[in-house]
Amino acid sequence: MEQWESQLSKPLTAIQGYGLAIFSVSSALGASVLLRHLHFTGVETPLFLFAAAITAWYGGVGPAAVALVISCVSFDYFFVEPLYSLVMTRADIPYFISFAAFGLLVTGFASVRRQVERDLLRSREELKREVAERTQQASLLNLTHDTIFVRDAGDVITYWNRGAQELYGWTPEEAIGKRSHDLLHTVFPETIDEINTQLRQTGRWEGELKHLKADGTEVLVSSRWSLRRDEQERPAAIMETNNDITERKRREEEIQALNEELAKRSTDLEATNKELEAFAYSISHDLRAPLRHMSGFAELLQKSAASVLNEKSQRYLGMILESARRMGLLIDDLLAFSRISRTEANKKIVNLEQVVEEALSEVRRETVGRDIEWKVGKLPAWYGDKSMLRLAFVNLISNAAKFTRTRPKAEIEVGCTNQRPDQVVIFVRDNGVGFNMKYANKLFGVFQRLHPTEAFEGTGIGLATVQRIVHRHGGKIWAEGVVDQGATFYFSLTNLKGV
Amino acid sequence: MSTLGRILLVEDDPKDVELTLTALDEYNLANEVVVARDGEEALDYLFCREKFTTRSNENPAVLLLDLKLPKIDGLEVLKQIKSDEKYSMIPVVVLTSSQEEKDMVASYKLGVNAYVVKPVDFHEFVNAIKELGVFWAVINQPPPGSIRKS
Repeated sequence: MEQWESQLSKPLTAIQGYGLAIFSVSSALGASVLLRHLHFTGVETPLFLFAAAITAWYGGVGPAAVALVISCVSFDYFFVEPLYSLVMTRADIPYFISFAAFGLLVTGFASVRRQVERDLLRSREELKREVAERTQQASLLNLTHDTIFVRDAGDVITYWNRGAQELYGWTPEEAIGKRSHDLLHTVFPETIDEINTQLRQTGRWEGELKHLKADGTEVLVSSRWSLRRDEQERPAAIMETNNDITERKRREEEIQALNEELAKRSTDLEATNKELEAFAYSISHDLRAPLRHMSGFAELLQKSAASVLNEKSQRYLGMILESARRMGLLIDDLLAFSRISRTEANKKIVNLEQVVEEALSEVRRETVGRDIEWKVGKLPAWYGDKSMLRLAFVNLISNAAKFTRTRPKAEIEVGCTNQRPDQVVIFVRDNGVGFNMKYANKLFGVFQRLHPTEAFEGTGIGLATVQRIVHRHGGKIWAEGVVDQGATFYFSLTNLKGV
Repeated sequence: MSTLGRILLVEDDPKDVELTLTALDEYNLANEVVVARDGEEALDYLFCREKFTTRSNENPAVLLLDLKLPKIDGLEVLKQIKSDEKYSMIPVVVLTSSQEEKDMVASYKLGVNAYVVKPVDFHEFVNAIKELGVFWAVINQPPPGSIRKS
């Protein structure tokens, strides 16, 4: 069969065709002549027709026509009276015409049949090629990690790739032929009617589905459906491509929960900040008024009762006044300290040398008449809140000025030790009374003091304020000191714009 | 004192009123002080409403205004004065305990003429009041329509 088809598929060349015509007609003639000698008559006509048909079948129309003509001539010459002459009687003409017509008919049928056969073969070849190609494509679908299956218009599974087997645990043999929604216990996000409507309108549908695996566990998939229609535009099949998003969904939910928690916390924080602000505001307003009254009326009392008060009472009044004044300072410093956290940092590029210069001129006003040698090194421009940084320098420098007060000649130096693109370390050094390193951790606490108020005044908030400013600039603060030999305060600033 | 403008002191705290009056008195500035105890009273006085419909028609030379007041707070009083065509020219000095920047900014935005934080220290307080009184009631030339007696 294969052999026959391949022979058929290769048409004969022109020469072969005409050769075949001559050969087949000659054979028919030879056979007819032989049979006539054996006294068989009337066989020549079918034999010639047979030769023409064979030629038409294998050689095509041209050779068949030639075979027909030769057949006619041979027939006339050998079998029509008078024999061995091409002369034809009138009575023979209808016979000839019907022979030629019949021959043409056979030839025509044969060549049409042949053509049909060829076409059929060609389309069969094409079909075979296509099947091979499709088979290869289908096997490619098995390579993908995606879960792909195809179901017909009745949702019966007709194709099931390896991804589907891996995800759901059903083999193609188990899955094919089952209704997909029954097999997978599909839970739809909307009604199946809505989905089908969309599928019919656009040819596609996308959404998240819940499926049950063979082992009974639930899986969440992101599903994409594509509709294939037949020639009559009727829905024929749906290809469903699914991706397992169970884990992703779980993470998304986790992230969402975390975000909600974060939002809640930041709301809480905001509320706390608001409370803090209201608290500070109320201190600013309400705590100061009674203090002012205390000090005001004590002073008025001092004035009006001066003549009747003895020295002791005068001293008591003096102490009341002093305490009120000190409490006023504490409140002011505490407010300034809390303001550092409450106010928004307004950060931009700041010329630190200029900031130090401004801080110095502020401190110098309080150190008039003292012998102080100021040294200011080179400082970079840095990213930060100018007024906060100035406050930090004012605090550190005025501290240095304060604790060098007992020195005949004070030396105060401001400089920078380490400058990297992302960090700078600035120091303020003095030759003052210094401190014991074992108290170094207490330096930056609110209201923490290492010296008695009588020796060095102050509220104990300055360094806490500096620390908070430094923290708001993403930096650290630390100090080194030796009792009676001076102290050095270091702080770092980072270049993080977000901090 | 050659001339003295009337001062409208808006202050709810009687102790503060007394201290302020005492301070003003030390410089003989207390005679022409009208005290309003809340924002509403201050506005009534200024706009000649309620019990002040019959007040003398000269306006005060200056308002010393506390911010934290009952009924109508100081910032609202300031806003109403500065948005009233007839009274917007009257100088208003905020005299408050608050050092808060937002109060300061809000006051200046509303057109306050001066912002003074009451010092805790009595000496400083007296000095501040004295300087305020002298400047606004004596030195400063008030807008037309304010009382100024010889």
